[in-house]
Amino acid sequence: MSRTSSEERSGWLFVLPFTISMALFFVYAIVRTAFYSFADYDLFKAPGFVGLSNYAALISDELFLIALRNTIGFSILVTTVQTVLALALAVLVNHAVRARGLVRTVFYLPSIMSSAAMTLIFLWLFQRDGFMTAIVSVVLAYRHHILLFFVGFTALQGVLVLNARRTYEGVSIFDPFFLLIAAIGALALVGACGLAGLLPVFDNHLRISWLNTQRHFLFMPVTLWSVALMNVFTTVPTLMLLFLAGLQSIPSALYDAAEIDGANAFQRFRHITVPALRPVTFAVVTMGIIGTLQMFDQVAILGDAAPLASRVTLAYYVYENAFPAGASSRIGMASAAALVLGILTIAVVYVQKSIGVRERGD
Amino acid sequence: MLSRPARALAAATMLLGLPAFAEETVRISGWGGSEVAIVNGLLTNVLAEKLAKEGITVEYEPVDGDFSQFILNGLSAGTAPDLFYVDIFWARSIFSAGQAAPVTQDVSGFAANLLEAFTYDGKLYAVPKDFNALAVHFNKDIFDDARVAYPSDDDTWTTLQQKLVAVHKALPEVDGLCVVPEYARFGAFALSTGWSPFDNQGKTVLDEHFRRAFDFYTGLVKSGAAVMATDAGQGWSGGCLASERAAIAIEGAWIISALRDSAPNMNLGTVRMPKDPESGKRGNIVFTVGWTVNAASKVSRAAAKVAELLTTEEAQQWVLEQGLALPSRTALADDPWLRGGQPEQMASRVVLEGLSDDHVAPYFFGEVGGSWMQPINAALNSVILGEVDADTALASAQSAFDRMLAKQR
Repeated sequence: MSRTSSEERSGWLFVLPFTISMALFFVYAIVRTAFYSFADYDLFKAPGFVGLSNYAALISDELFLIALRNTIGFSILVTTVQTVLALALAVLVNHAVRARGLVRTVFYLPSIMSSAAMTLIFLWLFQRDGFMTAIVSVVLAYRHHILLFFVGFTALQGVLVLNARRTYEGVSIFDPFFLLIAAIGALALVGACGLAGLLPVFDNHLRISWLNTQRHFLFMPVTLWSVALMNVFTTVPTLMLLFLAGLQSIPSALYDAAEIDGANAFQRFRHITVPALRPVTFAVVTMGIIGTLQMFDQVAILGDAAPLASRVTLAYYVYENAFPAGASSRIGMASAAALVLGILTIAVVYVQKSIGVRERGD
Repeated sequence: MLSRPARALAAATMLLGLPAFAEETVRISGWGGSEVAIVNGLLTNVLAEKLAKEGITVEYEPVDGDFSQFILNGLSAGTAPDLFYVDIFWARSIFSAGQAAPVTQDVSGFAANLLEAFTYDGKLYAVPKDFNALAVHFNKDIFDDARVAYPSDDDTWTTLQQKLVAVHKALPEVDGLCVVPEYARFGAFALSTGWSPFDNQGKTVLDEHFRRAFDFYTGLVKSGAAVMATDAGQGWSGGCLASERAAIAIEGAWIISALRDSAPNMNLGTVRMPKDPESGKRGNIVFTVGWTVNAASKVSRAAAKVAELLTTEEAQQWVLEQGLALPSRTALADDPWLRGGQPEQMASRVVLEGLSDDHVAPYFFGEVGGSWMQPINAALNSVILGEVDADTALASAQSAFDRMLAKQR
């Protein structure tokens, strides 16, 4: 027996357990789902072939169209925001010299909480007169103070940097010492104006419906914007770790060489960090798309805390049809919707791979 | 009808005092919570001897979580228990799928409207074990402190609302009622106007009667009589009553066991649902649960016997006197326990009277299921939150009903 055929057989033996589980739990399941998507089936009576009726019913079902729109909007928003934030956090943590371990641990904490526990905490934070409303309320009440702080801070920083550049070359606009001085100066200015009664405080008794509302903001229901915030908060830390691993594998010699060539921090980030992280970014974006298109748990836990149309996603629509409250199961509709979700996921990942972030550079 | 040899065997069995079933094991299941105490109490305190005499061993498997899903999965996989709870809300999905065995026992002692609720295609598929209806439960101390008259059986929507506004004015930290934007509570008001969820043609029409109830219910918050339960940090009106955030709660008798745990010293009063001031009638929603025999059970006769024993007059009297649930047998409506002066006795009596209100409908929505309530719940929610006006909300709800019911045809 040749060495090659022996190796080939070993290879097959190694993949056999996974092949069996794939065949049972994926191939068999998907074939059954495809079969049921063409059938009228309620879990009990024998499935009857109905052709494309389930797909036709999906297209004419308003809730399905809402779920489709919600899912696509949610996926684009969350994938984009979580990727950018995770990269920014990874860069920040990678540079934090002091207490780096502590910072990483603190940033990673939201990811070790269970999704159910996190959703319940957010349900409390998102009450109409809860914590999130309190933040908005404070920002609105002190909007003049906040505006004056930023204007004062920018002006002071500008004056300090321009003044320093007259004497020394290469003073950064983000010089940390000047930033501290500018912040203290701006705070003093706001405090003085506030005490002099020059800045009015706006009374408001806000009640914001973060979850229990049918309002829309831009392309998505407000409820799903709140769920997106919750989802980003819990997912970003894991993605940050992936980026961090990628950052630490970039040779520091590249940055040293670029610095000698006169590249500034942004140019180093743009031309070294971003291209070197391309394989990690591809993985992060792909996982993000798959995870967000299949969003289920957080909207399911919301339950009656939000109207169905404001929180329904495709994955939840599948569940709603498989186990409708007080009615017979519509397995045909659920299967058709599940297949649409599967095909949509594959298509979006393929489109992303073709025209979005690629695994390797050109 | 039993065959001649079977009749002879049964007669011989009775004469010899032998068990009717040769040591059969019946698996029974229901949901958790206070139901576990009811079933365990019945099996050990009331029925132990009878079951032993019949030669039946009962294995009780209470399930926490979504029971309807547990049963659907169990039935489709062939692992469901022999006897299980069905809630009127989803019972039809089990009956229409042929998963329930028809009831064969004598059911003449049960309330007719409960039997009707479990009848499908002319056959009875579950023995009603208990029921519930809505009533107004109130904290007497709050009304005393506010110097406002207690709610009474004679109250109309308007007089009750006036009392609640007066309570809130006298005690600003207390609201009259915590409202939930759900048909399960609002429905009682809509029904009292004479409105019916489905007309003769099976359509849902949100007519002027419905509109009157809708305006009243959604106006409760604006008038200062109520607050949304979620704004008070609660998920149901009973939670607000228990925490003394609200003076009244519109709930069923299930509130008694909740208050027993969270507010055992509350000076509780209970009166019937208020009348519609225009029609002078009361409306109510009936929630009921029954025991159903699994059609595929290998011990279906023994399972039916267990269902019969669990719902005998003796068994229901024991459950009633423990203050755990209301009986589905009409003979127990005059039980001396119900005439007692304890708050839970009064609450049970009032809820039982709710069964004979003028316009009573079961908590059940035909083939459409629970999604029937969604347009109404969405309209209630958006109007109470002030997101849209009643005209817009109801027009949107009506068009949702038209689409939903057109799909069913």
